[in-house]
Amino acid sequence: MIDLDMRVDAGAFRLEVRARVDADVLAVLGPSGSGKSTLLEAIAGLRRAFGTITIGGERLRDLDLDLPPERRRVGWVPQEVALFPHLDVAANVAFGARGHERQQHDAIETLELGPLLRRMPETLSGGERQRVALARALAAAPRVLLLDEPLAAVDFEHRARILPWLLRVREASGVPIIHVTHDLGEASALATHALILRAGRVHAVGPIAEAIAAAYSAIPDLALDNVLLGEVHPEGTLTLTGGARLAVPRTDPLGRATYAISADELIVATQRPVGISARNVVEARVLAVDAVDRDAIVRVSALGTELRAKLTDTAVDELALAVGVEVYLVMKTHALRRVA
Amino acid sequence: MIDDAGIVAFTLASAAAATLLIAVPGVAAGYLLARHRGKSRGAIETLLSLPLVLPPTAVGLLLLQVFRPNGAIGRALAAVGAPVVFTYRGVIVATTVMAFPLLVRSARTAFEEVDPRLLDVARTLGATRFSAFRRVALPLARRGIVAGLLLAFSRGLGEFGATILVAGNIPGETQTLSLAIFHRTQLGDDPGAMRLVLVIVVIAFVAVWATELLTRKRAR
Repeated sequence: MIDLDMRVDAGAFRLEVRARVDADVLAVLGPSGSGKSTLLEAIAGLRRAFGTITIGGERLRDLDLDLPPERRRVGWVPQEVALFPHLDVAANVAFGARGHERQQHDAIETLELGPLLRRMPETLSGGERQRVALARALAAAPRVLLLDEPLAAVDFEHRARILPWLLRVREASGVPIIHVTHDLGEASALATHALILRAGRVHAVGPIAEAIAAAYSAIPDLALDNVLLGEVHPEGTLTLTGGARLAVPRTDPLGRATYAISADELIVATQRPVGISARNVVEARVLAVDAVDRDAIVRVSALGTELRAKLTDTAVDELALAVGVEVYLVMKTHALRRVA
Repeated sequence: MIDDAGIVAFTLASAAAATLLIAVPGVAAGYLLARHRGKSRGAIETLLSLPLVLPPTAVGLLLLQVFRPNGAIGRALAAVGAPVVFTYRGVIVATTVMAFPLLVRSARTAFEEVDPRLLDVARTLGATRFSAFRRVALPLARRGIVAGLLLAFSRGLGEFGATILVAGNIPGETQTLSLAIFHRTQLGDDPGAMRLVLVIVVIAFVAVWATELLTRKRAR
């Protein structure tokens, strides 16, 4: 349980957050300057905050208590990653791990750092640094992980390689995560809940689907991607975790993979299309239609998960899309982008 | 010549003693100045830098006022058998005061180059303020600090103005290299003065070169 009722004053900027979320992974979304990083720093005790901060039943701050950062036990991974340049990978990971040998060992295992232990940070790639920073935070046995745009410091090519590690950390560690990002795809791949910040205020908070629908109207520059996890088999077949199959580009490498398809590229049809070049046609049922300016975000249940399609409001009217309507989703093979 | 050796040894010893004395407070002051963002920072920096710009004789005169034998501090020190004025302690006091700002400046610059994010991360990993300083800031600023210590030591070797006022120029007691060079020139012993000049040139060359090497490595 993440329970925040706090205020941070930073010059002219004021951040006010009141939220109570029972989430394994809470995504914090919002445009630049909305206070996302400030929120993490305040939870970590690196910035003066007022009010109360309670994580997993442990009070980090309230009226008569203000734990210093070293006693808050938060695993903070800043945007800059900030590995200790004078220490090798092993010493970086061990920095806060005294008395937590098991967590240290597990962190090294989970992030597969064994071959890198004797390397110095300056010799690592962006993705490797990110893994070391994650392991360093995990090894200190934190009560919460605070990830500040973990993919932002990594170039696009490596980005795709970090997401699976984050998923692994989530599965293996069981530590709740607060994950700052401005990428909806990343958020929906990892998080169960989302908190949307706008100009220092909470714009929406709750289960990720509803929060994202609210975010979409508030934050136009957010990328809206649907994320699909599965395994690629020969001849370009993606078998999703739920068992459904999709055609992906044949040239894609085999094995576990994460794909994304933009909400703009999902085509919705009320009858099964025939004689069409798109290779993927799947059955779906409308869960909700959220109006967003002149557009609509149609949330459908398909492929054992929830997907979002962005349509014009005219299209929604003409197709008479409403909750419970059975539809077909059409996806071009090449619209499925492999992201990890 | 035996005289020369004694002078060189005394000079090296006083410069080393002064450097050791300022090591901890100098590094601490450099760190606090680098991390401190308050309004008082400018005033403190200026005050600490004064010995760099004031005529050394002016500093010497001020020190003489502080430690004069008939003053409160002077009497107290004499009572415990450690008078400062016109003793080797006077040499160390003068050298210490003159060398301190050099160390503080080098240390401050070195600490300012340490990414504050690293210290923040260290705190979240369970390190207290002091432990973050010791385990992260200090090792990363190490080169700049050593360079500062060498610089302070070199400055100590050549100290003249403040030393002559506080400690006088007593051969075999408070006479350092630079005092002896001056003294011998006054007496017309130019070859004797030149011998000492050659010695100090060699020592200064080694010290400054070492500083250069360290700072260049840091810049790379």
